[in-house]
Amino acid sequence: MTDLELELRDLAAHLEVPPAPPLLGVVLARLARRRRRRRQLAFAVAIGIATLAVALAVPGSRASLLRFFHLRGATVTLVDRLPPLESGGSLGQPISLDSAPFRLLLPSGRRPEQVYAGDGGYWLRYPGLLLFELESGPGADIVKKAAVGTTDVEYVDVDGEPGIWIGGRHAVYLPGGKPRAAGHVLIWKHGRLTLRLEAAVGRERALAIARSVR
Amino acid sequence: MQTPGEEALVERACRGDPAAFEELVVAYQSLAFRTAFVIAGDAADAEEAAQDGFVKAHRALGRFRLGEPFRPWLLAIVANEARNRRRARGRRAALALRTAAEPGASGDDPEEAALGSERRERLLTAVEGLRDDDRDVLACRYFLELSEQETAAALGIAPGTVKSRTHRALSRLQEELR
Repeated sequence: MTDLELELRDLAAHLEVPPAPPLLGVVLARLARRRRRRRQLAFAVAIGIATLAVALAVPGSRASLLRFFHLRGATVTLVDRLPPLESGGSLGQPISLDSAPFRLLLPSGRRPEQVYAGDGGYWLRYPGLLLFELESGPGADIVKKAAVGTTDVEYVDVDGEPGIWIGGRHAVYLPGGKPRAAGHVLIWKHGRLTLRLEAAVGRERALAIARSVR
Repeated sequence: MQTPGEEALVERACRGDPAAFEELVVAYQSLAFRTAFVIAGDAADAEEAAQDGFVKAHRALGRFRLGEPFRPWLLAIVANEARNRRRARGRRAALALRTAAEPGASGDDPEEAALGSERRERLLTAVEGLRDDDRDVLACRYFLELSEQETAAALGIAPGTVKSRTHRALSRLQEELR
């Protein structure tokens, strides 16, 4: 070793190096945080897979899934083609407005022409407008399929609650019901209820009606 | 050099034994911090680099080749973190000498002590004036006393490059001190 190398070794002993801080606690805390984040991510992925499985389990579904929209109580799947569909059909058993086990919400507080119990929920019929109300619970999911390219589907906000607007023809599967054809529909959450409004109106008008329910 | 005890510890850590990894952190935290500090020149950067180094090493344990020495593998990760911080800062914080004790306090000739201190000051200034890659190789070899192999691993260069770069850096230093 040359003199210069010896001097460099000697210099090392005279360097101002702060004492090493204890690293173990911080490192272990960071590793624990990372494990928690990975568990949360795995949980989110599992939920996503379960939602996809629910969408795929709908009878008669053969079309390939391309994209789906979800909120608690409702799933909309974009597919490349719609299954064979029936139009119209009975809405269920006519009942009085006060017969439902929960208070039915009314657009602008207006009473409907008729109320029906059917498809696992309650139909409120107005001139040119149908409102379906469903209490959240296991198996109480509205599943819809919309065809890519012919139907607009997007997330919307209804007074701070999440909603989905479906502009165009699509298939609707109500709990326990057969697949039916449907037109413009807005689905949104309102507390424990999932509401579905079907009318020949545009997105903004549908949102205005949705915001008026009380 | 790796002792048989350390090899077993590393093997346990690689198999997911958290207690073994904790022992490795305790054993190497001081060297990891010192390595990062010598490269980055800043205590806060060095602490972060050492922490990140251990976290990344833990993540990479599955890829560690059992039987290989653990120390240079860990130092390579830590040194890389320290260099990244130095790069992000845009400039290197210079190392400094410890404050000298009262002249004659150690029993040495005060004049000799003053000359020694002046010489060390010049030497450190010359080291800090070198290019980053020359300075890093000298820091690893002489300040951290790493072997050529360990220096090569820590800096991510070939052992032959460590040799030639050390030779070049010492020559430049010699020139500077003339």
